Amino acid sequence: MSLFEWCQWLQHTRFATAISESDYLFPLIEGSHILALPLSVGMIVILDLRLLGIAFCDGPAGKLVLNLLRWSKFGFAVMFLTGGLLLITQAGKAYGNAFFRTKLIFLLLLGINAAVYQKVFYPKMAQWDSARGAPAGAKFCAGFSLVLWIGVIVCGRTMAYQF
Amino acid sequence: MFVAAPWLTNSDMSLLFALQSWSSWAPFVFIRDSKYGMPAVQSFHLMGLTILLVTVLLLDLRVVGLGRRDYGLSWLARQLKPWTLGAIAVMIFSGLLMFLATPGKYVDSRPFRLKVVLLCLALLFHFGVLRRFTKTDSAARPRAVDVLVACLSLTLWFGVGWAGRAIAFIP
Repeated sequence: MSLFEWCQWLQHTRFATAISESDYLFPLIEGSHILALPLSVGMIVILDLRLLGIAFCDGPAGKLVLNLLRWSKFGFAVMFLTGGLLLITQAGKAYGNAFFRTKLIFLLLLGINAAVYQKVFYPKMAQWDSARGAPAGAKFCAGFSLVLWIGVIVCGRTMAYQF
Repeated sequence: MFVAAPWLTNSDMSLLFALQSWSSWAPFVFIRDSKYGMPAVQSFHLMGLTILLVTVLLLDLRVVGLGRRDYGLSWLARQLKPWTLGAIAVMIFSGLLMFLATPGKYVDSRPFRLKVVLLCLALLFHFGVLRRFTKTDSAARPRAVDVLVACLSLTLWFGVGWAGRAIAFIP
């Protein structure tokens, strides 16, 4: 079975059709997916803006970061759960969608970017945080994250118009 | 009811008529009929939502004292303010574009009416109550008041969001 056939099978399982045919479940899941944006992406954007030196600059970033990352874990848990359920109900339609594929690639790159930041820059954050301004590499990670998250939102919204 | 209040139906009709004639203005036609017009406007609406609600969320969490308290409430409120205002501007502008481009989707929509009412309440509450609470760090009020204010703020703003989403699903 090819991946495409598997996606089509997934979309037509009883579990998937139960969600997509329910008057309440699909709107509830989709609404939760959208309203979890501030709790997940929003928190990361605030951190990115701080690292880039655009906002929240006259306070220590380290403390802000610890506060934000804790909440964003909950936000991203909601995002992946609801996003997974939405995908199951529309897997066959999403498979060939260019915007969906772009969104997945962006999410993959964002994951790698976050891992690099966590490994390379985060451990020494206390050192450069007191001095004003993040190192160039950390700023690059933040800018990359900001642009790609905007891309994820645009692709996520646009893909639904092609179904 | 229509007999009792003919002015109501008349004004509704003339409003709808005016809205429909505006919606034939070229930029609105482009938003409505082009392939990527509507998704583009909605993407801006969602980016505004992300920023607006995260600033409200951070402020409310700090008001109830959840999370770390390494920074003061008034400091946080001052830092967030331009982003809250900017996001509100983006949301209202993109929202108006959607409304004026496709008024037929909204004038008779019950969730849309609820959304407008909740939006007015949320704005009044935010600038009338919450912003006053966050002006000073030293709070001489009971914690229950803080919790109530934060819960009301979040309920109103997320209510606006849910009502907005419901426009697509409920007539």
